[in-house]
Amino acid sequence: MKAQYIIQKEIRESILTPKGFLWYVFTSVILSILSYFFLTNNELSLLDQSQMLYMIMNFITVLGVLMGLVLGADVFAGEIERGTLEALFLSPVTKIEIAAGKLGAAMVNWWIIFAISLPYLFIVGKGGQNLLRGILYLGILGTLLSLTFSAFSMGLSARTKSMKNSLIISFFIFLLAGSPVFLSAALRMTWFGKILDLVNPFADAINTFDSVVIDSQGFSFQIERIAIICGYTFLSLWFLRRGASRLEI
Amino acid sequence: MKKLILVLSTFFLGIAVNYTSASAAGHITVSINPQSIQANMGDKITYVGTITNNADMAVDNIISYISLANVTLGKEAPMDLEDWSANKAIKIDTIPPHGTYEGKWPMRLINSGGYVAYITVVNKEDITPISSAMSYLEIKRVIRLNPNNVLPVAIGEPALIGGVFMFIAFKRKKG
Repeated sequence: MKAQYIIQKEIRESILTPKGFLWYVFTSVILSILSYFFLTNNELSLLDQSQMLYMIMNFITVLGVLMGLVLGADVFAGEIERGTLEALFLSPVTKIEIAAGKLGAAMVNWWIIFAISLPYLFIVGKGGQNLLRGILYLGILGTLLSLTFSAFSMGLSARTKSMKNSLIISFFIFLLAGSPVFLSAALRMTWFGKILDLVNPFADAINTFDSVVIDSQGFSFQIERIAIICGYTFLSLWFLRRGASRLEI
Repeated sequence: MKKLILVLSTFFLGIAVNYTSASAAGHITVSINPQSIQANMGDKITYVGTITNNADMAVDNIISYISLANVTLGKEAPMDLEDWSANKAIKIDTIPPHGTYEGKWPMRLINSGGYVAYITVVNKEDITPISSAMSYLEIKRVIRLNPNNVLPVAIGEPALIGGVFMFIAFKRKKG
């Protein structure tokens, strides 16, 4: 329940502020431009509906992960730099409850992005195959990935106590995780690409979207990849718990 | 004597090589169907390639692929078929003597203009690849301004979220 109080505080301070809410305006504008071009541009509009849906899903996932990383990096290091963590520690809330509350707020942020993206997903995927299944998988895997990367970034923030350092390291990890996007299809078929695809939670998520939306494959094909993502989620939560419990000012 | 043997050997070798080349080039033929198409952007068409083995022996492990070139005036360029969702190369294990193989290349027409498509067969036993005649493809442009009713969402949602943003900003300023 104390964690719930922290979530409410974070929502008030990070989300329901003009600066915080501006992110959602930008998210919506970017998604509008993207979906309009997907549907009207000469070449893009002739892609399969499922291909368009898959590309929009990837974009939303990247956006959610990125925002989770930025919010996570600010959590402890930002409070230390602003000199507000001491006051928070004086309140009758444990460090683990503070971490859980802040992680909860990061998840609320992801769910808002997901909710904003729903109309676009319906418009782009309308008439195509696997729309509802795609949205379900995006909801679940997006939540797991946001949880993973936000928790990792928060754990890092607690350890480095420097927002700049935790942001740089988080972005580095993000680029590494997003590297499958930059690899060509041929490179991804090499042993290096295959290993990178399997051990990388981000690649596991986009390959699952591909498998579900484009190839119409069932849940049994996704179990291995989802299990790997869940593994990373538990690992990140453990990393955050350890970092938060050892945090001293 | 040695010179004579050398000259004769070279002569017969030349005849043999020439004969092999001529027979290899002649024993496989390839045709493309339809020979011309007029369609709209977004349409799906299928090219059928018929590869015929005219020889008395089977041909094994041959590769066949389709090529597409833009021949619109001022836009002449070979096309990357990955964008057109066409099949990649087809490997044919064997075609029996005097037998035929029919390969299909479905294609989604993603841009307007004039194009030519042709099918090529590559047999490692032959010196030169064999190509079909060119099939002419005319694609008409199609413009869609509000497909899937995208405009209300594309304009309405940022406006709605922008409205909430203004409300929050106003409330904070007032408070």
